[in-house]
Amino acid sequence: MKVTRVLVGAAGAALMGVGLSLLMDVRDPTGVLVWLGGAVVLHDMLIAPLVLLVGLVLVRGRARGPVRGALVVAGALTVVALPALLRPGRTANSSVLPLDYPRNWLIALVAVAAVTALVLAARGLTRRRPPS
Amino acid sequence: MKLRVSPPVFKGRLHDARTATSIGRCLALAFAVCFVTGLVSHFMQHPSGWPADGIPSRPTWGYRLTQGLHVASGIAAVPLLSAKLWTVYPRLFAWPPLRSLRHALERLSIAVLVAGAVFELATGLLNTVQWYPWPFSFVPVHYAVAWLVVGALLLHIAVKAPQIRAHWTRRSSGTLALPARDAPDRRSLLAAVGAAVGAVTLTTVGQSFTPLKDFILFAPRHPDRGPQGLPVNRTAAAAGVGRIADEEYRLVVDGPQPYTLTLEELRALPQHEVELPIACVEGWSKSAHWTGVRVADLLERAGARPDARVRVVSLQLRGGYRVSEMGHEHARDPLTLLALRLNGAELDPDHGYPVRLIAPNRPGVLQTKWVGRLEVLS
Repeated sequence: MKVTRVLVGAAGAALMGVGLSLLMDVRDPTGVLVWLGGAVVLHDMLIAPLVLLVGLVLVRGRARGPVRGALVVAGALTVVALPALLRPGRTANSSVLPLDYPRNWLIALVAVAAVTALVLAARGLTRRRPPS
Repeated sequence: MKLRVSPPVFKGRLHDARTATSIGRCLALAFAVCFVTGLVSHFMQHPSGWPADGIPSRPTWGYRLTQGLHVASGIAAVPLLSAKLWTVYPRLFAWPPLRSLRHALERLSIAVLVAGAVFELATGLLNTVQWYPWPFSFVPVHYAVAWLVVGALLLHIAVKAPQIRAHWTRRSSGTLALPARDAPDRRSLLAAVGAAVGAVTLTTVGQSFTPLKDFILFAPRHPDRGPQGLPVNRTAAAAGVGRIADEEYRLVVDGPQPYTLTLEELRALPQHEVELPIACVEGWSKSAHWTGVRVADLLERAGARPDARVRVVSLQLRGGYRVSEMGHEHARDPLTLLALRLNGAELDPDHGYPVRLIAPNRPGVLQTKWVGRLEVLS
């Protein structure tokens, strides 16, 4: 087991070496470093604290499970939709980004809210049902 | 006044190793699929060395499946990575920050892993909408950082192996040592993450898995949207060809017995119909019916050897991918056509009028449009 572990770790380090050597060959390594560092800074200093804050404020009490579920699903859908929602400029042709993405985003949020409301209502009903 | 620096305190639940293990293994699976399918595409688009001629032309849906999976696993990784990072976020403030050289190296590898993972998902997602706000070129950097991420991930798994093992199941020793009252809450969180993976998949995967196309909300392509109901990447205008006049068109076949065909002559040759997908590395694909002349027949007439490679040259003036090459497996496959018709109608100029290449298990950018020349290579 120990040998496997060391081998996997060494293989990982070797693959990182491959990645680094490939990065040495790209034309603008500084730009890549800025974007890599930017990814960590943006996540660790801004996105993660904001998510934790939202969780602290909204995810509490008896409804915490469904509310958290709604936030997680809506958040994931929003992140995946962001490139289509925010891309500036004209697209290469009309088959790129052919849909009404702001409308679709609203549809998705309404669907998430509706499902969450149904789950909460169903839970409320089962809770209130008198013991038989 | 004395400044006291102390790390923040996290009182929230579920920032534990069992949650991290449960989410982490799904994330590792998504990254593994993404990496392998990415390698497949890289190799098929940049064949080098001896295996270049051995790229198989079957299964016909090979490239469609692998690249659909590449983008779908990347999108599925978005909620998984977010949840994983949320779970382990308090460890960013471990105190003291650096205990030893080993600890420092481990933290450095984690930094590389987090940076690379967020970077790959962000750049990949932006590439699918053809948005390039960075100063570097996308393909080589996305490829290089993929190796970095997979390496850092393997190293991370090796370092954390004892904790992973101790929290692998609900009955594992480490899991049992955690507060039992967290278990229902953890199940609820994992269900939420699972629902998020399902939601982002359902609203995007129809761009390649067409039975689900009615559920597309956020995919950058819709399989029915485009000229002749098929998406395109480079239009005739963008390629600088416009509509090529019938009487001016010539197909030059260069080989041991070279010849030239007019469009009329090409239309008079035996026509074959095949059903093959156009599949793009950006994750969209769609199957269509193509009618045209078998490349194998054209090569036979030029006296090409059965194992000859072929170069396909476009009449396009601008843009990359003007020239593509095929190994003998693709060149001799009876499904490989110089197509003249798409779904029963003449090709739209944006689909390569008058003649385009369509071959099984081949990246969309190498399905050369506006073909003017076939060259038999030795």
